[in-house]
This record gives sequence, structure tokens and C-alpha cells, in this order.
Amino acid sequence: MKTLLIGATIFSVMLSEVEASLAQDTTQTSSNQNAISEKSGKTKAIVTGGAFIDFSANQKRDVKTNFDRTGFSPIFLWKLSDRLFFESEVEIEIEGGEVGVDVEYAKFSYVLNKYMAIGAGRMLTPFGAYVERLHPAFAERFPNAPLMMHHMDGMHAIGPNGAEMGVDVRGGFQLGNSKMNYALYVSNGPKLNNGSEDKMMAGSLEYENFYDNNSNKAVGGRIGFLPFSNSSLEIGLSGNSGIAGNAKDSLYKNIRATAYAIDLSYVKAIKPIKSIIKITGQLNSVTVDKANYKDPMDSTGMMTYTFNNVSQVYYLQVAFRPALLQKSFLKDIELLGRYNSLTYPKEALWGGGTTTRIDIGLCYWLSWRAGLRFAYETQKNPDGTTSETFLVRFATGF
Amino acid sequence: MISVIIFSGIIIALSGGCASTETITAKSGAQLWGENCMRCHNSPSPADYSDAQWETIGMHMKLRANITTDEEKKIVEFLQSAN
Repeated sequence: MKTLLIGATIFSVMLSEVEASLAQDTTQTSSNQNAISEKSGKTKAIVTGGAFIDFSANQKRDVKTNFDRTGFSPIFLWKLSDRLFFESEVEIEIEGGEVGVDVEYAKFSYVLNKYMAIGAGRMLTPFGAYVERLHPAFAERFPNAPLMMHHMDGMHAIGPNGAEMGVDVRGGFQLGNSKMNYALYVSNGPKLNNGSEDKMMAGSLEYENFYDNNSNKAVGGRIGFLPFSNSSLEIGLSGNSGIAGNAKDSLYKNIRATAYAIDLSYVKAIKPIKSIIKITGQLNSVTVDKANYKDPMDSTGMMTYTFNNVSQVYYLQVAFRPALLQKSFLKDIELLGRYNSLTYPKEALWGGGTTTRIDIGLCYWLSWRAGLRFAYETQKNPDGTTSETFLVRFATGF
Repeated sequence: MISVIIFSGIIIALSGGCASTETITAKSGAQLWGENCMRCHNSPSPADYSDAQWETIGMHMKLRANITTDEEKKIVEFLQSAN
């Protein structure tokens, strides 16, 4: 009994010492944090970004279920002064057993005044709203992007749907109770595939070109209008035009690609039903000047073919979340629906007509930036075949 | 495509999209934070980042989402006061 009492006394003394030490540590940590924030200096930086892992199931594939891809995209943000800023995103992905690393963007910006900033570098092209604002894995509610709204290697790009090298000026300002924003840019522009490297892709475009293939630079811009003072609705109009042909290629050096886009975003909390509704959509269209391409079926190499090179893609996405419910797991569930339509020229060897896709899904939010996404996707291809895929993605921002 | 546009317009009209008529100067930072952040992603909690981090994120959002300078200033001040 005596031993027990001595042991209990020693333990309580030790416990009080630990508590006092922790209190000191907490006080010291708080003091350190205050000191750090007061002396943080003019240079401020943060590493944010996102990560994801994908799973899919498709009965028509040879491998019916698969953990498809995983990716990690750190975003580096440096506020070097009240006017100078640098941002960069690196995409690291594993797919098909291969690791891909890409600099999604690396851009300097300098704030000239309240209404204008100038930027230069590799930048997400302000064509529509999806690429600049909605494509990050932690922002996109579905497990995947809408058809051709984000760049895909080996596919004909319908307008700049990724990042380009260039310079831009941008800003936002109030117009009475409404707002407007703008972004104007000059970039390396599109590159025409003339069929010399891949005959099946003749007439298709690539936009993410580190090196320009001609001295002509593409010009473009986006204007956004928010008519309501609560910023719930934004409508954007975008345009882009540039020579796509190679300067050394006499047949194609004057071929121009002209694209436009319309985007829509509506986000509103509807208090009577304690929910937030979000509607987003975008339409991209690109026209490439008519040209003659070598017929790959002709062994003499003399026969050519041509076609009206006009492509269009659009999507409309609706999300519904009872986020204003107080005590219910329903507030973390977001119901999703999306319709996609992609039309390539029927006569193009990479074209074939219209592909439509319908996605139905839900996102379960574990926090404001981490969510588990499920979707059932049905796609109808130009040749009449269909496919059904079940997709799952866990994505988080940080 | 036309039916899609009409459907969107009906949804917007029914949800009373044009209710408020306040200017930015009349709004609080909290109100601007609630209205602007959720346009692209869920609104982060003020407690998620430090004062210095909010300053950097605010400038990033000004340059990426083209929010106005006045909106950026008010939103960052609110987030720094509430974290």
C-alpha cells in the first residue's frame, strides 16, 4: 500500500510536469507564431496543389477493372512583392506503368494598377473558363473532365485547352452593380499536323507548343460578365486566331485556325431548400482553313483529299448539394449530372462525326477540398458503338 | 444545345438569380468570400491557412479568377481576421 501511494505520488508529479511543459510549449509555439507572422517579410510563399487516384470498371474492356491513374500536382505560389507574383504547377502522373512529369504552367505576373496585371511565361490559356478555373482535380466534381475541355495527347484540340507560352494582360472591375473581367494574350499559337508525321492526324491541331512553328503569333482573349451583384452568374466569350501551318511548308504556311468559346457558370445558394445549385457549361468551336492532305491509301503519294475542318464540343454540368442542412450527412453529398457532345469533321481521318456522353454521379465531400467521386458514364461513338464505364476518383487539394 | 440553354435560363430564373443589388463597397469581406470562392471550388475555412498564406492565395485568385482588387483586399482581410 505504501509502495502504491509513493508510485501514485511520483506519477502525479510527473504528469503535472508534463502538463506544465506542454503548456509552456504551447505558449512558446504561439509566441513563436506571432513572432513569425510579425517578421514574415515581404516575400510570402505557399505550396498548394492536389492529388488524386482513379479507378474504372468497363465490361467491354479486356481488363474490366483497373486502378488507372494516380497524380500529384504541387502548385508553387510566390508573392514577391505587392506587385510581383510567380506561380507554377508541376503535374506528376502514373498511368499505364509510366511516370509523366509536366510543367503545367510557370508564369510571372506584375500588377500595374487596380485594373490591370501583365503576365508572361507558360500560362493556362484564358479560352473559356474550364482550363483556367475548373480543371484541377480537387475542383472538378466528376472523376474526369468533360470531353476535350482539357488537353489530351493525340487528340485534335478544339481551341487552346491547356497551357501556352505567351504574355497576357488581365484584370477585373466593377460596373455599377455588375462586374466584368478580361484577359487578352499573345501566344505561340496552334500547330497544324500536315500528315507528314502521322497521316491519320492530318488537319488536326495542337496548341501546347513550347516552340512556335512560324513567326505569326496567335492573339486571343476572354471577356467575362457577371450581371448580378451577388456574382452568382458569369458569362464568358473567348476568341483565338493564329497561323497554324509550318513557316517552311509552302503548302500550309498560310493555314489559319480560328476558335471561339462561350462559357457559363451559375452558382447559387437556394435557402428554402437549404441547397446550393451549380450549373457550368462551355462550348468550343474551331475552324481550320481548308487544305489538301495526302491520301494515306494512295501508294503513289499523288492523291489528296480535303474536308471542311470545323470541330465543336460542348458540355453542361449540373451539381446539387444540400449544403445548408445543419446536422445531416446529406450536406456532404453532391449530386451530379453532365452532358457532353463532341463533333469532329466526318471526312477527317481522326474525325468521324459526333460523340455524345452522359455522366451521372455523386461526390461525397470529406472536407471542403477532399472528396470521393463516383460516376456512371455512357458514351455513344460516331460509328454507333456504345460503352458504359463506372468511374471512381478520390481527389484532394492541399 | 438550344434546349440546354433554355433549361439553364429557367433554373437561373427560378432560383432568383437577380435578387441582390449591393455593390462591392457595401459588402463585407465575409459576404464576398461566400459569393466568390464557391464559383469554382468549395469555400475554404479561414482557419486552413495563416495570414501570410492568405495574402499569397488572395493575389493568386486575383490573377487567376480576375476578382477585383477591392474584392481581393476585403476577402483577405476577412480571412486573416477569422483564422
